[in-house]
Amino acid sequence: MIPQSHFLILGAVLFAIGLYGALTRRTAIGILMSIELILNAANINLITFNKFWGSPDGLGQIFALFVIAIAAASAVIGLVLVIAVYRNMKTTFTEKMNILKW
Amino acid sequence: MNGLIQLLNNLLNNYGLQQGFIAQASFYVIAALAVVFALGVVSSRNIFHCAIYLALTLFCIAGVYLFLNAEFLAVVQVLIYVGAIVTLFLFAIMLTANIGDRTIRHTNKQALAGGVIAVIISALFIFIIIGDPWRKNLAQPQPSLTLQEIGKSLMSDYALPFEVISLILLAALVGAIVIGRVKKE
Repeated sequence: MIPQSHFLILGAVLFAIGLYGALTRRTAIGILMSIELILNAANINLITFNKFWGSPDGLGQIFALFVIAIAAASAVIGLVLVIAVYRNMKTTFTEKMNILKW
Repeated sequence: MNGLIQLLNNLLNNYGLQQGFIAQASFYVIAALAVVFALGVVSSRNIFHCAIYLALTLFCIAGVYLFLNAEFLAVVQVLIYVGAIVTLFLFAIMLTANIGDRTIRHTNKQALAGGVIAVIISALFIFIIIGDPWRKNLAQPQPSLTLQEIGKSLMSDYALPFEVISLILLAALVGAIVIGRVKKE
């Protein structure tokens, strides 16, 4: 039987990788992908605690289901924003998107 | 699948290996693959390859869900993430970025600082997890949730958040169409 901590360590490592990507990527699409990694790491933690500590009605799994739905919505909106910005500014690099700065 | 694992276990028992060895070993292989593919997502120079690595990572995470008695979530993960979200990423990449361009830099000036921060945070998390503040485990882990139980919970106890999710998805749909359409002059 695999101990609880190994699942949690996997979640922590995936979170750190996603954080690194979100901090260092230049393109907005890369940042969105890294955010998906972070959300998946959170999901692994939710389901792990549901298995080892869970309530009988599976609150952790249902919460993870909601996280997946929200992640889908946020990915859609983020990608559409990227496409709209690209149509106007011909770039997906975040440091070029600075017309709101002065 | 279970029968196959059982057969392999029996085979391994004959050679003196412990029960459940195959399941444990496959978990560690899948977890290692997930980490390797995730590193590919954040480090590949070609943004198209990043999306492919993301799909593989999400597949591996669906495999991890199977070890956590969450079969329904594993299926949902493959359907929604790999089937829908990664496809959406691929469409967005093909609509915007110049795919094959390997000469442009893919990280910003914060690459070193970001790496240091990520390493520090993951070390801190792993330190806390190994300290194991959640020592009081359940005597036996939760049994696998059937699809029927999940459906009952969604329609009774968690009906309100379920409905709110549908509203959020509708708002995202309408918002995506409004933001993404080309305005006619």
